[in-house]
Amino acid sequence: MKVIEIKDLVKIYNESEVKVHAVNGITLDFEQGEFAAIVGPSGSGKTTLLNMIGGLDDPTSGEVLVDGTAMSNLKGSDLTDFRLNNIGFVFQSYNLIPVLTAKENTEFVMRLQGKNSKECDARTEELLKSVGLGERMNARPAKLSGGQQQRVAVARALASKPKFVLADEPTANLDSKSTETLLDIMEKLNREENITFVFSTHDARVVNKARRVITVEDGKVISDERKNGGE
Amino acid sequence: MAWRNIWRNRRRTIITAASIFFALFFAIIMRSFQLGTYGHMIHQVIESYSGYLQLQSPDYFDEPGLDNAFEYDQDLLNRINSNPGVKIAVPRVESFALASIGAKTKGVLVNGIDVEKEAELSNPQKNLVHYRFLSAVMDAVYAIPELTEDQKTNLKMYENASFSSLDKIGMNCGISDETILQKIGELTAFNGSYLQASDEGVLVSDRLSKFMQLNIGDTLVLMGTGYHGASAAGLFPVRGIIKIPSPELDNKLVYMSLPRAQEFFGMENMLTTLAINLNDKSTMSEVQQELTNQLDKNAYVVKNWQEFNPVLKQSIEGDNAGGIVFAAILYVIVFFGIFGTVLMMIAERKREFGVLIAIGMKKRLLMSIVLIEMFFIGTLGTVVGMLIVSPLIYLGNKFPIRLTGETAKMYEDMGYEAVMPMATFDAYFWWQAMIVLLMVVVASYFPLKSIRKLKVIKALRA
Repeated sequence: MKVIEIKDLVKIYNESEVKVHAVNGITLDFEQGEFAAIVGPSGSGKTTLLNMIGGLDDPTSGEVLVDGTAMSNLKGSDLTDFRLNNIGFVFQSYNLIPVLTAKENTEFVMRLQGKNSKECDARTEELLKSVGLGERMNARPAKLSGGQQQRVAVARALASKPKFVLADEPTANLDSKSTETLLDIMEKLNREENITFVFSTHDARVVNKARRVITVEDGKVISDERKNGGE
Repeated sequence: MAWRNIWRNRRRTIITAASIFFALFFAIIMRSFQLGTYGHMIHQVIESYSGYLQLQSPDYFDEPGLDNAFEYDQDLLNRINSNPGVKIAVPRVESFALASIGAKTKGVLVNGIDVEKEAELSNPQKNLVHYRFLSAVMDAVYAIPELTEDQKTNLKMYENASFSSLDKIGMNCGISDETILQKIGELTAFNGSYLQASDEGVLVSDRLSKFMQLNIGDTLVLMGTGYHGASAAGLFPVRGIIKIPSPELDNKLVYMSLPRAQEFFGMENMLTTLAINLNDKSTMSEVQQELTNQLDKNAYVVKNWQEFNPVLKQSIEGDNAGGIVFAAILYVIVFFGIFGTVLMMIAERKREFGVLIAIGMKKRLLMSIVLIEMFFIGTLGTVVGMLIVSPLIYLGNKFPIRLTGETAKMYEDMGYEAVMPMATFDAYFWWQAMIVLLMVVVASYFPLKSIRKLKVIKALRA
């Protein structure tokens, strides 16, 4: 089942008088349960591609369909609602809300969805335990290490039960051990909950774990490899 | 979340709340002094002397004089008193005469009063002088052994002054010891008496009595022009001395009973004015209109204090406008302080706003949180400001500041008692709080607008 369909996607930035084709006609599909990495050098267009998949940026042309819904048809609060209920985000620099605890950060999106306290508590506890932070639920981000913060960010991304998670360079600020732990957690969640993960990354450790590796250069897909055991 | 957010940058929140606190504090204190002083002026001049309304003959307003007096009877009084807004109507005959004793002569304002009713309006009896610090007795006063040097210095400042009570002596000279006050009272006693209903005598104002060197029991000669040019002359024993707060009036006022004044001026059953006080001063315009409609327009006219005392009205309005401009300047400065904080907050949190919208928070909800944050900061400054300023207002109202030196002299020269009371808690107090909160809301407009226009992708790159 296709969760994401990308059709001839183009993004052109007008920088001064020069047009920059950040994404130049990409067509891709992602199936439910994929664990995919988009790789490529800096400026290759992988973050721009991820932003357009997540509805954070508008394409110049082409289309992104999430579960059959064209993102370009959604505007304003409809688009925000759609992101809330269908897409989880993990950012490079964690971006947790500093005034909320790990538990409150995780359940934040569920609160936005209007879930009741009982439901929020149960899911939050389950997620934070699964990312190994069952004992640090009441700690604020400032009291957590970078790796722990990114694990809370993963728990937050999954709290709303999204169709897929977009992670933009999730390990870029982490040391080896934290990267290893984070990747193991995401892989486990991917296998156990069948959630689709799409990463943009430079990190060879992420590429090694991914079951599908899409290489982008100059805004175009130059290779799309599925490893053994891939979907 | 909003509450926690405001404490993220504790120092900034405290500085912003403090700027709101100081603006509110100074604005309330300033307005309270202003309104308190106006209230005191109105109380001194209007409520305690002229009344909020005055009934006159139609020509009296332009040409005040005995020839423009009006007929006064019980029926007229009943009609006025039947208005529920009227507290009391006090009949008066006012005119000028020449006062003389020995070689001293001076123009005086003769005020014929209904002795009993006047007690409920200007109440001259409360100003009756009971103690006088005459030079002849002050050496004995300074010799009271219990007096401190400071108290002696204070007493010297009031040499030749007159007082209506020991409390006033105590308050002015900083003496609280009852025994000392009693001793001073015994040495400086001055035994005048108030007028009887049809008294043949007069009360003379303090400064006038000093100028004329009048004492209790002396006979004052009054001469003047009566009703329709008749000559008016008479001999009037001095029953008492009264101290009028307004120095201008204190220099020239002579009180006599209404029947005696009518007889002196040859105008039985006639009045120059009927001073009216109200149960509620805010009903002044309504009562004025009702009385005007009720009475014969050809025979009577009802004027309010702003019409018959435009000088007081204009001086209050002028000073009030200055106060409002000053408060506005204060608020503009504070507004830009709050606005600066808001701009800084937005710049610092742009990326965070982008993340919140990216993960599914609607802009409307985000705007509400930011507005609540600003509201919390505004409320914090406002509530602390009001809590701290409230006891000061209470004390300033109950125990007004008594001015001294040149400032006091300036007040007295203008005809007002040299005190600066603060206005009690009234609409102005709550308005200052409303203005501050309104400023916070206006200052929040920019962040709310920038959130509404926020491009998520740009915010995430911030």
